[in-house]
Amino acid sequence: MTDHLGELAALYALGILEPNEQRSAEEHLTHCDACRRLLAQAEADVAAMAASQPQFEPPATLRAPRTQVRRTPGPAMWLAVAAAVAIAVLPSGYLLEQNLAMRQSELMESQVMARLMTGPHRTVAFAGTDARVMYAPDGSWYCIVIRGATAPFHVMWPHDGTQTMLGTAMPHGDIALLYLPKSHRMNQLSLMKDGQVVGQAQLVF
Amino acid sequence: MRLAPGDDAFAAAFAAKERWAFDEAYTRFGKLLYSTAYHVLGTPEDAQDCVHDALTRVWRSPDSYSRSRGALRSFLTVCVRNEAITRLRSKVRRRKLEERVAAEPQEYDELGAVDVIERDRLRVALRSLPPEQRRPLELAYFEYKTHVEIAQELNEPLGTIKSRIALGLRKLGATLGASE
Repeated sequence: MTDHLGELAALYALGILEPNEQRSAEEHLTHCDACRRLLAQAEADVAAMAASQPQFEPPATLRAPRTQVRRTPGPAMWLAVAAAVAIAVLPSGYLLEQNLAMRQSELMESQVMARLMTGPHRTVAFAGTDARVMYAPDGSWYCIVIRGATAPFHVMWPHDGTQTMLGTAMPHGDIALLYLPKSHRMNQLSLMKDGQVVGQAQLVF
Repeated sequence: MRLAPGDDAFAAAFAAKERWAFDEAYTRFGKLLYSTAYHVLGTPEDAQDCVHDALTRVWRSPDSYSRSRGALRSFLTVCVRNEAITRLRSKVRRRKLEERVAAEPQEYDELGAVDVIERDRLRVALRSLPPEQRRPLELAYFEYKTHVEIAQELNEPLGTIKSRIALGLRKLGATLGASE
């Protein structure tokens, strides 16, 4: 974006820009002092709105996590350094992984939603479970949905006397989801949890 | 609002990523940030996670905050609110997907629904705005709709909606005593 933000500063502060507009605005803000000042005012207005709603006491556990300690270790501080590394590095990796997982999950949900809205599909339950597979009649995609999942489920394709591992449905929120774009028809799928087959689905083409 | 003694030093220390300033942000703004997230997400657990994630992200990002971005309090409030809106949209999208695939229809959680009560200064202040500015601002602030969605819902041109939101926000900020 080369233009100044203008009215978009208010929309940015309210968090209601479309994603592409938000990215453009952020890029522009990196080099425009005038727009940073404009945004600062809009953010102050939004903060005033937030502060004017009823306020709640946060739980006692709301405090800064012990991360990113900036200290220069002396000779007698190696144990403290080891602890600091554990504290600083582990949450960082965890957060990165969590963000990545969230992005992947959102992408998968979008793909599934698009498939379900735009094309024909069939639905079959995994016998004995609260899981089902939706799939395209031409075998071009499969979507496994497990409701109430609290642990990962592996999805297998039994064929020709072997079991092919297709992927893992990771629980997120109330459901576990696995979207599989494929180029062939699979007549049977199995769900595995903790090394045991917990459900099978027979697909018809 | 005039900055209390120490606020400048605090904001400068936060910008310089001095550890004590990170702790101090929780102490000074914890209630406001938590309440902001709570109003969007509706549960204590989600609100607390949201504040942690938003502040941690700001803290870990290089150059995320500088003094030219204005008051630290405003900046962090907007960061937490945007994080909460992102989480809410993700939650709603997930719920829509679950509804689509499930045999039984699901009820939407009334997350983010806030009772209209007289103690809510914001609701009272909103009434001072003319309806053509108030309605789009309400849809933006309380229902987290994008300006495109708001223009469609109100059947108004996009440019008109942008102007009305910007104008309404500045007026409301002035009414509520906002200052950088």
